[in-house]
Amino acid sequence: MSETVEKTKAPSEPLFSKKNRKLVTDPLSDNNPITIQVLGICSALAITVQVEQAFWMSVSVLFVLVMGNLSISLLRNLIPSRIRIIVQLVVVASLVIIVDELLQAFVPDISEKLSVFVGLIITNCIIMGRFEAFAMGNKPWPSIMDALGNSFGYAWILLLVALVRELFGSGKILGFEIFGNNLPGEESGLYAMGYVNNNMMILPPMALIVVGIIIWVQRSRNKALIEDH
Amino acid sequence: MDTTLDIFVKAIFSENMIFAYFLGMCSYLAVSKTVKTAVGLGAAVIFVLGITIPMNYLLQNYVLKEGALGWLNPEYGLDGAHTIDLSFLSFIMFIAVIASMVQLVEMLVEKFAPALYGALGIFLPLIAVNCSILGGALFMADRQYSTIADATAFGIGSGIGWFLAIVAIAAIREKIRYSQVPAPLRGLGITFILTGLMGIAFMSFMGIEYKNGDKKAETEQVEAPKTSQNIELNK
Amino acid sequence: MAINRDSNGYTFGFAIALVVVVGTILASLSLGLADIKKANAEKKKKMDILSAIGIESTRSTVDGIYDETVLNSFVVDATGNVIEGEKAFSVDVRNQYRNKTIEKADRKYPVFEAKNAEGKMITILPVVGAGLWGPIWGYIAIGEDNETIAGAAFDHKGETPGLGAEIKQSFFEDRWVGEKISVNNEFQPIQVVKDGSGVNEMKVDGITGGTITSVGVGEMMNRTMAVYVKYFNNKK
Repeated sequence: MSETVEKTKAPSEPLFSKKNRKLVTDPLSDNNPITIQVLGICSALAITVQVEQAFWMSVSVLFVLVMGNLSISLLRNLIPSRIRIIVQLVVVASLVIIVDELLQAFVPDISEKLSVFVGLIITNCIIMGRFEAFAMGNKPWPSIMDALGNSFGYAWILLLVALVRELFGSGKILGFEIFGNNLPGEESGLYAMGYVNNNMMILPPMALIVVGIIIWVQRSRNKALIEDH
Repeated sequence: MDTTLDIFVKAIFSENMIFAYFLGMCSYLAVSKTVKTAVGLGAAVIFVLGITIPMNYLLQNYVLKEGALGWLNPEYGLDGAHTIDLSFLSFIMFIAVIASMVQLVEMLVEKFAPALYGALGIFLPLIAVNCSILGGALFMADRQYSTIADATAFGIGSGIGWFLAIVAIAAIREKIRYSQVPAPLRGLGITFILTGLMGIAFMSFMGIEYKNGDKKAETEQVEAPKTSQNIELNK
Repeated sequence: MAINRDSNGYTFGFAIALVVVVGTILASLSLGLADIKKANAEKKKKMDILSAIGIESTRSTVDGIYDETVLNSFVVDATGNVIEGEKAFSVDVRNQYRNKTIEKADRKYPVFEAKNAEGKMITILPVVGAGLWGPIWGYIAIGEDNETIAGAAFDHKGETPGLGAEIKQSFFEDRWVGEKISVNNEFQPIQVVKDGSGVNEMKVDGITGGTITSVGVGEMMNRTMAVYVKYFNNKK
């Protein structure tokens, strides 16, 4: 589960060196935080009923992870080791409060829908995991790259699950009707031909099954990831 | 208006932390390979939720909520001249309470109940970052339970629900080793799908209506003005 | 490094500095955004109230429309008498219902009087209750005859999408329009039914698959309207 601390030692490497690019691309597939490292599932699944919520959740996580990795990395030589974890918690919690306040003030409707799940970014293991495993031992720039990579890895799984669930669960994407009108009495498009939304998709358990299937596909394509039970 | 018992039963079954809200999934997936460790972690979660939810309830209602500081000076209360609203601090305060309580509980258990420490000890530090603990605190604040008894019932109920979920999945995972699971699905993949199927099973608790004295009283009051003629009409 | 990072003094100093910095940032942010958040909440409430009489508004237009439409508001007690000196808009109806320390007889019931598009006087009443997963609430518009429902707008916190969450769709809200809350000045409960007989008076069809939420709507309607009928009777 936990990774070994990677050290970037080269004193003057270009900003987009191969190593730095790898920091971004790795978490997208072979080291995806959700499907491979199994981190940050808690807050991920509950808000994947609609693409819109998943999008805002991803943006919030991106903000918290980038800012957090940056500040931890800047402070890494100042933080007393004994209260390291508490300091990390304080940094995450404050960033999450900032995100929550901003959402409440500027996109109140979204903030209402995400409800307590914004707060749960604090215990999103991806964030604490990256602070501890990467930002504590690396310079600010690679830390930002690492944060970007991990939050994109998190975001695309989230958006994919949300896309599947919204499309088959309510026949819409971002509220836009894909399969036609579903109002009783005035059906059009596919609904007029007898198509019915799969209400199952909207219910919580299907999020797990969709993620399970994504893992299945991913591991069939990359045999190296297969576990032996 | 749920009674305390309702809140307790709902928290265990229909509003199960794992199956309805996916809270605490990280440790749920990581520590569910054998039943023995699952029982340990599950018990620790019940324990910590049972302690931190009432603590955070007091914090929420006497410090953080808008006007909650009214007991210090009526001026700070809801109707006072300088209403104080500290609710923006709730995330940071809840997580601080949880982290310090976990630490405290760990020390106390180690000192006074070494046997229990042997069983729970290694799991306690894991719990500070278990989403179900913070999630429980946030749900408690969100749902505005009106008494500390309700909040405690919710805390312990959620813990028991989490315990049930992790022990059940651990038992299944122990057995599934002998099954022919497709190779790419082994381990994580099949656990996700199993949890989903278990979630569907748990959804059958959703339709249960928790009839209770309190609700009855309200309905009776509503129906009181009915005349006998009306009742027949309704039939 | 000159400073010993593991000394107690340094650890304390760091912790204090961190708390001060974080506290300052968060407090100033919260204070700075407080007005916007409060305005957001008020606008949302005004939009909900207006939607009960079929007026759709956006966050930017709601204030003006609300001031033009809602002419009068006051608070009544559980026996239907007006309480002087209470502001209807600031009564937290959900807290009145959920807080077990407020006696049923002491609950406050806000009333909003508005003019609809045809210039008729409509009374808008808030309702709150419990659905399957969490709170549900809504605003009910009562027509000039003081007994017929002229409009309804429901909302919810987290009902099952596609099932219970459908209570906020217009097809369900419209089923309430035309029902009467009282017959011969006596309160009359409206039944939520499953058998499709909801076209009759005093009956409303529930939502298939959303039974508990629909029943919750019925419960909150009847519990609240039983009180407001007393107010309408006093008024007549």
